[in-house]
Amino acid sequence: MDQKNFIVAIVLSVLIIMGWQYAFPPAKHPPVEQTATQTTAQPNAPTTAPGSSTPMPPGAPAAPGAAAAVPTGLPLDQALAQSPRITFSTPELLGSISLKGSRIDDVQLAKHRQELDPTSPPVDVLTPLGTAHPYYAEFGWSASDAALKMPGPDSVWTSEQKTLAPGKPVHMTWDNGQGLIFGLDVGIDEQFMFDVKQSVENKTDKPVTLFPWALIVRHGEPKAEGTYVLHEGPYGVFNGSLKEFGYKDFKDNKQQKIESTGGWVGITDKYWMAALIPDQKAKVDVTLKGTGPTPETTKYQVDYVGNGVAIAAGATGSTEGRLFAGAKIVRVMDAYRDKLGIDHFDLTIDWGWFWFFTKPLFWLLEWLYAHIGNFGVSILILTVIVKALFFPLANKSYAAMSKMKRLQPEMEKLKQRYGEDRTKLNQEMMQLYRREKVNPAAGCLPIMLQIPVFFALYKVLYTTIEMRHQPFFGWIHDLSAPDPLTVFTGFGLFHWQVPEFLHFFNIGLWPLVMGVTMFLQQKLNPAPTDPVQARVFQFLPIMFTFMMAPFSAGLVIYWAWSNTLSIAQQYFIMKKHGAPIGKKGAAAAVVATTDAAPPPEKKAIKPPKPKKS
Amino acid sequence: MTCNGSLAPRPLNRQFPAGMISRLSSWALRGAIRSYQLTLAYFFVGACRYEPSCSAYAVEAVSEHGALKGGLLAARRICRCNPFRDGGYDPVPRARPTLICR
Repeated sequence: MDQKNFIVAIVLSVLIIMGWQYAFPPAKHPPVEQTATQTTAQPNAPTTAPGSSTPMPPGAPAAPGAAAAVPTGLPLDQALAQSPRITFSTPELLGSISLKGSRIDDVQLAKHRQELDPTSPPVDVLTPLGTAHPYYAEFGWSASDAALKMPGPDSVWTSEQKTLAPGKPVHMTWDNGQGLIFGLDVGIDEQFMFDVKQSVENKTDKPVTLFPWALIVRHGEPKAEGTYVLHEGPYGVFNGSLKEFGYKDFKDNKQQKIESTGGWVGITDKYWMAALIPDQKAKVDVTLKGTGPTPETTKYQVDYVGNGVAIAAGATGSTEGRLFAGAKIVRVMDAYRDKLGIDHFDLTIDWGWFWFFTKPLFWLLEWLYAHIGNFGVSILILTVIVKALFFPLANKSYAAMSKMKRLQPEMEKLKQRYGEDRTKLNQEMMQLYRREKVNPAAGCLPIMLQIPVFFALYKVLYTTIEMRHQPFFGWIHDLSAPDPLTVFTGFGLFHWQVPEFLHFFNIGLWPLVMGVTMFLQQKLNPAPTDPVQARVFQFLPIMFTFMMAPFSAGLVIYWAWSNTLSIAQQYFIMKKHGAPIGKKGAAAAVVATTDAAPPPEKKAIKPPKPKKS
Repeated sequence: MTCNGSLAPRPLNRQFPAGMISRLSSWALRGAIRSYQLTLAYFFVGACRYEPSCSAYAVEAVSEHGALKGGLLAARRICRCNPFRDGGYDPVPRARPTLICR
């Protein structure tokens, strides 16, 4: 009887405890709570007595032998030598995992170099503590019970394995000495994804509830390449929608807290990024924050904390998450979205507002590349395709233009004769149009439709890593960079570090070619009847040469080639319709305009000279 | 010429801010069209289906009818300039003297 009552009492208390836990879940403890410890040299303090209401004294290391002693600014190899490691080398990634702190803190892109030179070092995505700009990911636990020891940044884990490879995950363990055995299983795929399974074996006689978390920390704001064109910095997809932040959003220890189900959170550079992907079905608390006084010394952190995992005595609790650390290759990101079901993982690449046009253009280019093997040639073929689409319309336009060019002198004469009498002028003009049967031009629509192509190509060349370091013929070794053979280096004859103030005038060879094509095309076009406009237009090819010079070589080549195709088409059509070509036509038009009304050309064009005092 | 301009000297702007606003907006609009004509229009040389071209039409319409009505006329013209219309000679309609003018 006594025993029976005893059992009932136990069951009831367990039920009450469980019900209480369900109704009033214990407060979650984000990985890094103590700003005090953040200001020390400690990398992060995810496990420094979370849940304790009394914060650690400022400057005090959170754990014995904390990272305070870690020197900074070491070369990579020396920084790596500071802790025991598990190494990996896949077709895409090189690097290692630190057993101290179980940090994924050394990830390099095997196929992408820092510079155009193929012997330059590979691109670092993540770098260990000790280097100038540490950048790493960690997976851990926090507990409500402050007495429980959690693995920290200095906990040294053990593993049987020495290397990690696709299909061969590694298992790491750490014993807290209080009956909790922590496990971390890390797997890697052929691309850039780490699968991480966190587990805890409870060998105590009490149930424990632990909160799994994951974080990415980056020390110092990196140099952004151009945040006006695309986003760089912390971002993520939360509850199905993308949110982008700038590093400056987290200055002065600011932070953002978001509750989300599904999605991902990370920090991106132009071409590569590191992102955490929680279980897509679980609700997590995401925090993005910065801690530190200046952008150079601020630690930017993105993290998530999952729901508490209740682990009964003798049982094992676990949770799974992922880390992406690698290049933002379009195909790879799309595949992760589809195969792993990561919500909106394609949005890791910033396609901009016109994604619905930019992305298809990229697919077309990539498809061409797959068949041809050179992105430069693919751009040339893409241009031909675009021109072919507009071929009939452009033909019509050029035919109309030819006719107009022939009629222009006559129209000017009419305007001159009936300039004041508008009614008469209208009648005469109507008659001229009827007599000559001018087919109207195609209108501005076909030209307008080509603007998005230009813009999308610009965006693709700028944004996608696929275009990075892609060669064309001759001296173009990187389509996404400006033409290197510039005026002030004697078109590559000698090497000279051109000073900043001369950059505007330092035009490459391809932009010059583009300028020439613009000039030739202008010679074919009818001169505008407005004399001021006509004069300004004569200078525009030069203006555009300067303006286009700093743009990616691929874009300049596209424009030059597109102009060349147009010129050929226009020349052929104009010949066919017997329109005056070149100087003859231009001269006729100019004569006509000067006849009509002697325009104050020089006055209008020359800007007033500033008086020197 | 509108009768407004030829019959009587314009009243002072101070007393008629509405007139000033309309003239300012007309001036601003024409300035914007002019800056287009001297830059982007480069890529549309000879493409217009009409004579005068859409931008020339817009300048004329705005100077003759003011920013509001002229702008509306110009917008209608630009909508007309599509491959489904015939194009051709299409001058700005003259401003008609109205009762207000008296």
